[in-house]
Amino acid sequence: MFVLFGVSNFYKLTQLKFAWLSRSGQINGLLNILRKLRSNPDKELRLLLLGLDNAGKTTLLKQLASEDVNHVTPTAGFNIKSVLSSGFKLNVWDIGGQRKIRPYWRNYFENTDILIYVVDCSDHQRLEETSLELAELLQDDKLRGVPLLVYANKQDLDTALPASEVAQHLGLHLIRDRTWQIQACVAIEGTGVKEGMEWVCKNIPVRK
Amino acid sequence: MIFLNLWSILEWYLRPFIKWFFRKTTRLCELQRICYGDKSGAARTCNIEKSLMLSRTQNVKEVVSYLDSTVLEKTFVPANFRDILDPSISIILRVKKINPKLHTSFVYSFRRCLEQIWSYRSLLNDVEDLRTLQFDSNNELHEEKLLNLWSRLVPDTPLESRVTKQWQHIGFQGDDPKTDFRGMGMLGLENLLFFATEYPEISSHVLSHSLHPTYGYTFAIVGINITSMAYYLLKDGSAKTYMFNAKRCLPNIDLFHRFYCYLFYEFDKMWIESKPENIMEFSMIFRKFENAVRSELADPASVFRIKVEVDTI
Repeated sequence: MFVLFGVSNFYKLTQLKFAWLSRSGQINGLLNILRKLRSNPDKELRLLLLGLDNAGKTTLLKQLASEDVNHVTPTAGFNIKSVLSSGFKLNVWDIGGQRKIRPYWRNYFENTDILIYVVDCSDHQRLEETSLELAELLQDDKLRGVPLLVYANKQDLDTALPASEVAQHLGLHLIRDRTWQIQACVAIEGTGVKEGMEWVCKNIPVRK
Repeated sequence: MIFLNLWSILEWYLRPFIKWFFRKTTRLCELQRICYGDKSGAARTCNIEKSLMLSRTQNVKEVVSYLDSTVLEKTFVPANFRDILDPSISIILRVKKINPKLHTSFVYSFRRCLEQIWSYRSLLNDVEDLRTLQFDSNNELHEEKLLNLWSRLVPDTPLESRVTKQWQHIGFQGDDPKTDFRGMGMLGLENLLFFATEYPEISSHVLSHSLHPTYGYTFAIVGINITSMAYYLLKDGSAKTYMFNAKRCLPNIDLFHRFYCYLFYEFDKMWIESKPENIMEFSMIFRKFENAVRSELADPASVFRIKVEVDTI
């Protein structure tokens, strides 16, 4: 009897908690994302995070997994995290960005649902390098038609270029063969990350 | 999990009775039984720490919080040990009704335990300070240390300029290492510098492995990831086995550096033995390595030393 009582009470409590959470604005967006994902219960999504070294890929990954972002180290190889939500699995692959690792990027292209490209907007010197790398990615057969989300990261820094200018440098407006979006963000604080993920959820391609 | 919780609740209620029973039968208090019964090192010190933390005696609690406060004030250093520990120990002797003349060896080993426990806690603070200190290229001292790292690791080749592709030779990501320290801050640089300075032969041996055409890896980047591992092992208390089993030295920043060097050396050994196809196997092998280290640290009897074997691959 007691056990039953306890369980049902706990159940009510969690319900209440969720109701409260959904009322508070901050969490609202996240819950919406979860709800959208729930409508596709059997699907696993493969997200590929690429960009130059020090762009903020690992910080973004940790932010998505709601982990501490203050202890990030440079990525040797890759990191993968699965963000679970009621039967739905977001597999996020974060591949190291240093030049030596870039030749291995191709090994992770297969079956990618969404390509996320991260740019450090305060690194003016390497803007050209990053747009060349992106151009090369977009020409690859394995990534044909894969929706592209560009995170214009580090917007909190004074020297950061605005997202619109970064888009121009990357030549995003010339892309015809896929849907794309650029999202300004500050990965270390989490600002703008949610908006980008909402776009991702709206643009999940139907897998052949 | 539930059984573990139940047991800890039960233990909380039963502890006084068990302690009372042993006290009556052995005529020794728990601290004495630990000091006389457990082998010196991690086994003894960890048990003393646990006993002190669980104590419900007001005076013992006060001693613990006093010692913690000296750590916060950064005064728990060897020069002050006498001033800090003498009164603390005499309070505990009085509360536990221990005659110091009869139990000289207890006082001696108990003092050692206290030194170790609170040195470890000071070390935690020192390491955290270094970690949160960001590498700053406008700081001359930081720059000097970075350049020093180069000349220690690659003594024969001078650096062409401050920003150069040469940095990639020792495993930094790009032309300027300043963005590579990230969440580990100056701790990452200090660790690398200590490895290169105190173990010149071993570090150049490890560096040469990292340059191997097939089994190569990025020396500095892997080093910074090992800093992160050492930091977490220290923070969650796993490193106590290493720190408390070190003979003749107390936990301090140098011992932390030595712990790092030990980890780096062992990682390199495991990496080469695993014959990885390329650097993309790093996270897998690194996880395997961490598990191996954790299981070794879980045994309080483990002693850690760098066993140097010169091999050729």
